Amino acid sequence: MPILSPKSWSLAVKLSLTITAVVTAVGFMIGAVIMAQDWKRFQDELGAKALLLSEFVAITTPKAMLRKDYWQLHLSLKNMASRRSDKTGGHEVITAMILDTEGKVLAHLHPAENKIDLPFSPENKIEEKLFQQAMSTRSTIVLSSGGFSKSGFQEGVVPIFSDQKYMGVVRVRLSVAQLYEKAKDSALIVLALVFCFVILGSGLGTIVSRRMVKPLAAVTQGLEAVGRGEMTDFTPIPINERDEIGHLSVTFNQIMAELAEKKMLEEEIAMSEKLVALGRITAGVAHEVNNPLAGLLNCIDTLRKHPDDKKLIDRYLPVIDQGLHRIKDIVHSLLVGLKIEESHETVSIQHIDKLHDLITAEIGERNIDVIWENRTNRDLHIPGKIEQIVCNLLKNAVEILPEGGKVAFCMYQDGSHLVIEVSDNGPGIPSNIRNQLFDPFFTTKTNGTGLGLWVVYRLVQSMEGIIEVMSDEDQGATFHVSVPVITMKAA
Amino acid sequence: MRLICLLLLFWTTPIHASKPEPPIRFGLTAVVVTENLRFLDQWSQYLSHKMGRKIEFVLRKSYQDVIDLLDSGGIEFAWICGYPYVQTREPESLQLLTVPIYRGAPRYHSYIIVHHSSPYKHFSDLKGKIFAFSDPDSNSGFLYPLNLMTEKGDKPESFFRQTFFTFNHAETVQAVSEQVADGGAVDSYIWEYLAIFRPEITEKTRIIKTSPSFGFPPIVSRKGVNDSTVSLMKRTLENMDEDSAGKVLLDRLKLDGFGHFSDSLFNEIRAMAHKTQRANPIYSMLPTD
Repeated sequence: MPILSPKSWSLAVKLSLTITAVVTAVGFMIGAVIMAQDWKRFQDELGAKALLLSEFVAITTPKAMLRKDYWQLHLSLKNMASRRSDKTGGHEVITAMILDTEGKVLAHLHPAENKIDLPFSPENKIEEKLFQQAMSTRSTIVLSSGGFSKSGFQEGVVPIFSDQKYMGVVRVRLSVAQLYEKAKDSALIVLALVFCFVILGSGLGTIVSRRMVKPLAAVTQGLEAVGRGEMTDFTPIPINERDEIGHLSVTFNQIMAELAEKKMLEEEIAMSEKLVALGRITAGVAHEVNNPLAGLLNCIDTLRKHPDDKKLIDRYLPVIDQGLHRIKDIVHSLLVGLKIEESHETVSIQHIDKLHDLITAEIGERNIDVIWENRTNRDLHIPGKIEQIVCNLLKNAVEILPEGGKVAFCMYQDGSHLVIEVSDNGPGIPSNIRNQLFDPFFTTKTNGTGLGLWVVYRLVQSMEGIIEVMSDEDQGATFHVSVPVITMKAA
Repeated sequence: MRLICLLLLFWTTPIHASKPEPPIRFGLTAVVVTENLRFLDQWSQYLSHKMGRKIEFVLRKSYQDVIDLLDSGGIEFAWICGYPYVQTREPESLQLLTVPIYRGAPRYHSYIIVHHSSPYKHFSDLKGKIFAFSDPDSNSGFLYPLNLMTEKGDKPESFFRQTFFTFNHAETVQAVSEQVADGGAVDSYIWEYLAIFRPEITEKTRIIKTSPSFGFPPIVSRKGVNDSTVSLMKRTLENMDEDSAGKVLLDRLKLDGFGHFSDSLFNEIRAMAHKTQRANPIYSMLPTD
């Protein structure tokens, strides 16, 4: 599932997700800090209230304590508890008690469970600890428990003194339940705000990241177009910002414009090169055809003047025949080359092996050894042009080889390329003519047309392949051809 | 016409009479539920109207405070308990004015009450528990339970684990209902009164012992108050059941009326006080504040 892999996500998605994540994290962090502070403030206020209530009881009780007026003590707790809840409607007094110096109950808001004149018995270890703290303190303190929960409380503990004599302690415990509800309500508001903040932030993030990434996408499209070689129909990236991306877009637009110009120039040059080549070919053809034609016309003129001269006829007819064949060969070579150049047909690899027989026939009685090596897959189909390339290279080698020479053919696949190597141990190619090797009508052979290697060169170029020649004088020559082929299985 | 003249007379007489004289002060104690101030206003207005003099109710925390006021001449009349009434003073400063009639007779009881959910069934079950007395000068709220212990040779400080005074019968009921005390002694009249007007409190209590009947807390006058005022007050109170306004007030008090009874009505209390005082002389000296 590529959608699940973050590596495959677009930059716009990643950027907006990152912005959303950051905004969410920041939002929640701020929210959490606000809520924590709120809660602490609420707790502190409640603690202060608990202390105030305890102090209120502590001030009014010493006399009743001295008289052991349990009822008055009870009433003072009860009045405090009821007045508090009436007045604010807020903080519920969970419990309140007045204990003497020994921890005996003098009054308790829940007298049924906490009988007066009996030692106060804490319900559990936490209560025991709080009880000890309350009994040991000689100054007002606030005890709290429960953390952020409904069951938490704040307890005001105030020791009672009469004439600087310690008489006992007042404990008033307020529930945080209502605070909890209040805190929950404000937390909900904070959450809602954070949520809005996140939505707004991520929306903005998406817009910003899309705007930022848009020029990059255009640059990518442009580069893809360059890859395909389509530089001229590129639409310039609109420049909205003056930031780094804007700068990149400007530079890219410039590069693209320059590339398009260069491409146009190249095309123009190629066109003029074509025209030059065409001119050279035309001149070559004219020259090559003209040479025999002059001789032929002479022969025909002489024969016309001496129509009955049998000797003359016998002498000139072969010359005319030879001259016409040469013209035919030149035209044929040109036609074959050009025809195949345009062809897109494919042939089976076996066709190449048939050339082995053809070249053997070409050698005839001559003592030339042919080493044949075809390492390609037998099912492979290749462009028909390759057959002509191999044929021309082999013919070229055979024609140049002296008696006892050797020609080696090797073909193999290298990745997506088909490699053809034709080597001979002939006289080699002198360095001074290597540059002209693939020129049309350039030949060192007496009967050569000078078109064989030129055709090879054209065909290799038409397939966007490479042709290399390795040769040392008297060491033979190797033609190395590498062309891209689409591997096709035989139907 | 005669009716109008009568009405005029009825309205003008008190105005002329009350002008030169100071108000008559009437002390109230916990023998009645004194929290209902609006009722007390209505009653004082009624008495003022009937007697042609302004009547002012004076409220104090304890019986002793009211007795002290009577002794010092701070009040002229007071509704006190039978126990302070029978206590001998030198010289005697009080005289019996009239006695409320409750449910057909000038008598009431002391109730020993416990919390309705408690297991106690007898007074003896309250041994070692916390007990709420009403007032150290209350017959039903202190003398009677004290007598119960005295009869068995017990003393409150050893019989109960702890005791306290509420100085108010209604608050004694409250103390028991809230389980501040395990048991308490209250005036039957107050308990029944609360059972009508504040049943949520009495419902949480249970009567485990009812005393024999005693003379109802009487209304006394201070010796030295002129006879005409005394007799006017006596007549006004005793005639309350004869007019509708008085009847309404009596109904609010849940009393039948006021009547003339002899001092012998309080002989049981007197005997009990005598017996207890001898057994526990310390209780005659209990501080009330």
